[in-house]
Amino acid sequence: MLLESEMAERILREAVSRGGEFADLYVERRRSLTLSLEDGRLEKCTSGIDVGASIRVVHGRSISFVSTDSLDEQDLVAAARLAGEGAAAGCGEVKALAADGDVPVQPVKQDPAAAGVSSKVSLVEAAESAARSAGREVAQVSIDYGETTSEIQVADSDGRLTGDRRTRVRLTTRVVARRNGVIQTGYESAGALGGMELFDEFPPRQIGRLAAEKALVMLDSRPAPRGRMPVILHRGFGGVLFHEACGHGLEADAVEKGSSVYAGRVGEMVASELVTLIDDGSLAGEWGSGAIDDEGTPTRRNVLIEAGHLRGYMYDGVRARNAGVASTGNGRRQSFRHPPIPRMTNTFILAGDAEPDDVIAATERGFYAKTLSGGQVDPATGDFVFGVSEGYLVEGGRVTTPLRGATLVGNGPDALAKVDMVAGDFEMNIGICGKEGQGVPAGSGQPTLRVSEMTIGGTGE
Amino acid sequence: MMEILSETAARALAHAAEAAVDEAEAYVAETAATGIKVYGGKVEELTGGSSRGVGIRVFRGSAMGFAYSSDLSREGLAATVKAAVKNAQVTAPDDHAGLPRPAAGYPQGELYDPGVTETPLQEKIELALEVEAKALAYDQRVSQVEQAVYHEAQSKVAVANSLGLEGAYRESSCYLFVQAIAAVGGEMQTGISFSTARNPRDLDAPACGREGASRAVDLLGAVPVESMTCPVVMDPFVTASLVGVVGSVLTGEAVQRQRSLFAGLEGERVASEAFNLVDDGVHPRGLASAPFDGEGVPAGATGLIERGLLTGFLYDERSGRRDGRRSTGNGIRGSYRSIPRTAPSNLRVTGGTATREEIIASVDKGLYVTGVSGVHSGANAVSGDFSVGATGRLIDAGRLSTPVRKVTIAGDILSMLRSVAAVGNDARWVPFGGSIEAPTLLIAEMSVSGR
Repeated sequence: MLLESEMAERILREAVSRGGEFADLYVERRRSLTLSLEDGRLEKCTSGIDVGASIRVVHGRSISFVSTDSLDEQDLVAAARLAGEGAAAGCGEVKALAADGDVPVQPVKQDPAAAGVSSKVSLVEAAESAARSAGREVAQVSIDYGETTSEIQVADSDGRLTGDRRTRVRLTTRVVARRNGVIQTGYESAGALGGMELFDEFPPRQIGRLAAEKALVMLDSRPAPRGRMPVILHRGFGGVLFHEACGHGLEADAVEKGSSVYAGRVGEMVASELVTLIDDGSLAGEWGSGAIDDEGTPTRRNVLIEAGHLRGYMYDGVRARNAGVASTGNGRRQSFRHPPIPRMTNTFILAGDAEPDDVIAATERGFYAKTLSGGQVDPATGDFVFGVSEGYLVEGGRVTTPLRGATLVGNGPDALAKVDMVAGDFEMNIGICGKEGQGVPAGSGQPTLRVSEMTIGGTGE
Repeated sequence: MMEILSETAARALAHAAEAAVDEAEAYVAETAATGIKVYGGKVEELTGGSSRGVGIRVFRGSAMGFAYSSDLSREGLAATVKAAVKNAQVTAPDDHAGLPRPAAGYPQGELYDPGVTETPLQEKIELALEVEAKALAYDQRVSQVEQAVYHEAQSKVAVANSLGLEGAYRESSCYLFVQAIAAVGGEMQTGISFSTARNPRDLDAPACGREGASRAVDLLGAVPVESMTCPVVMDPFVTASLVGVVGSVLTGEAVQRQRSLFAGLEGERVASEAFNLVDDGVHPRGLASAPFDGEGVPAGATGLIERGLLTGFLYDERSGRRDGRRSTGNGIRGSYRSIPRTAPSNLRVTGGTATREEIIASVDKGLYVTGVSGVHSGANAVSGDFSVGATGRLIDAGRLSTPVRKVTIAGDILSMLRSVAAVGNDARWVPFGGSIEAPTLLIAEMSVSGR
């Protein structure tokens, strides 16, 4: 525990001393290390420590939130007093804090803090050398390694006292390949909630080689066409499309305001019956997991869409209270400096039963999106765009020419309704999801699947 | 208060001097921010936060190590120096590494306005409420204002290095932001706007509310159009997004690392004659303005593209040395937690003469783009590939007509810059993708993908 429970209780009492129905205290101590290799040299080695806390007071539909880079009681009480100023009158209640004894902190097999920095330098160098040796046209390789260990503590006026310890490691490789003035890029990454055991499953050499191969294959690409056609999303990366295209619209803040296309539609058919969409922050070792969310609610598996039917939304504590339901364990924040908001954890579409090869074979002419580079959605309209960093033309049921500069444009509900084939393969991918200026680790996944029609925004024919 | 930060930097350097390093730098920053969100005429969220900390860079020989901490106590500084020294034992030597020498002086200019402190909280809440009210009153079809936000930040920065460099300044900034929703039947459209200033009393709440609302209302009934190749008129928000991507690779660092589409093109024509781009780190209205950059080098103005010719790149100390040039004062730090890297300060597209109306009237059949999405994933500044989602209006015989959504505009970045056919005289400061003063632009030809 970062703070003693008696001290936490005193701070919470100060927070509600002028009223308010609910207050919570979030304490965090985060240690981080990053290594960057570029131009063939280990250029950067950075370490840092962030320590601080924030206090939130909820009164009616209003939230006051104050953060400070200090764990001194005096500073925290001052922050609590400031957060409590928004409440009108009276005095709120603080129940005696009782520690949650049974939070299963996710295991770390090989703690990065215990591994020497030289072993991490070796990982980075291995990824680099594999990328360099993938082809003579590899012009630049950048490798980033990052590890963070975050200890958190949550105490609230309902008497909750809990905590988590989250260790994450990540390795990313970016490659630039060049041939006769044509330049293309490739990107690959692996990350986990866990320790160095990640690299047993994803060897750095493999991460480096895959990034280089993506850049090299795109040297032979021609400009992507434009117009509508069937789109096959390769397993894994397509998950980020559903994260954007429907995940954000299922977060309770947009739903509460009626500014989501999915608001008020629980029970309705919002997708093809082949689609079952899950958000699960309790998955062992996954990038977006944690034992609890950042309000202390244990994470769990939430079925969002089941066989095409909308089953529910993702709630944090505040929106759940407003809606009269229980939090789904989706109250997340970037750090103690940010208030929690409803966020996805690991969001994925369950595997179907088609063979991946059959999905391609069944497509006369279409676009095969193998790697997506990210995208953006307007939750009010559901309209989304996605960059495709590795894409191919499908002709006569076969994958043919690589295509560059493609962007997929569509509408969330429309794309979900048009999912017409779902394969039995499955993969998760990692990313940092941005919302309201906060970035949090988020996993997304899906099997290979086909959307019968989407717009490709290229420049070719 | 400034003295306290400078004194902290000096104490950090004293610890480094005991640690047998060749060069050392301490960057100390303190920030206080307040945010207000209103919804339905009431305060929805009030946030306050303060942070301060130190970032320490040390060089052993030519190998660099960096560490940061929010613990500014004697023990905290000593531990941070120790961590930086340890990190320098891991990195490879770099012939061009090193810290800048003291400058002869720093540009003067007031970046701090006491109005951020003196204006009562209630008045700031009123500003956000006024944004919401003006957006709702703009048109019956505005169904709600999903976000109406007031935000302010005050920062103090001090930097010092073992070569005798010393500098400190403070600044303030504030903004209003709105996201309005217009609805008819089952259809919803969104529109955004903002207003920025150094003093809350200089913010324009009514204009912010009205513009967010009008952008949403103007999109009602939007449909995808047929795919076509046509002239594209970009409004200042869209121009800023494009310029942000261009500016990110107009740096010596990106060129040296073979990550810039402008590599090898210095002195060449990279844009049409109508196009001028300058990085101006001291412009009074630029929110990225400062007397010096993240390593204490004086900020200034650097011409990047003049009448279509690529005239220069941005440098920090290290990338400058590598090219045998001086730093342009573009060693930008996100916060005390990060190492400086070469990046634009304020980018300005200058020299436009046409009005927005003249530009639109000059187009027979084309697309007026008022919003782009997916820029971070759809615009590749290394390869030059550019394909992003777009919303806006069709232009028909020189007039705005049907609203458009769910289309993309695509091209390669150099071709787009070379086919800039007109630059508007309506440049305004836009805080998207950096701090950018952007006007309306006419691109003679782009690929539009739709139905």
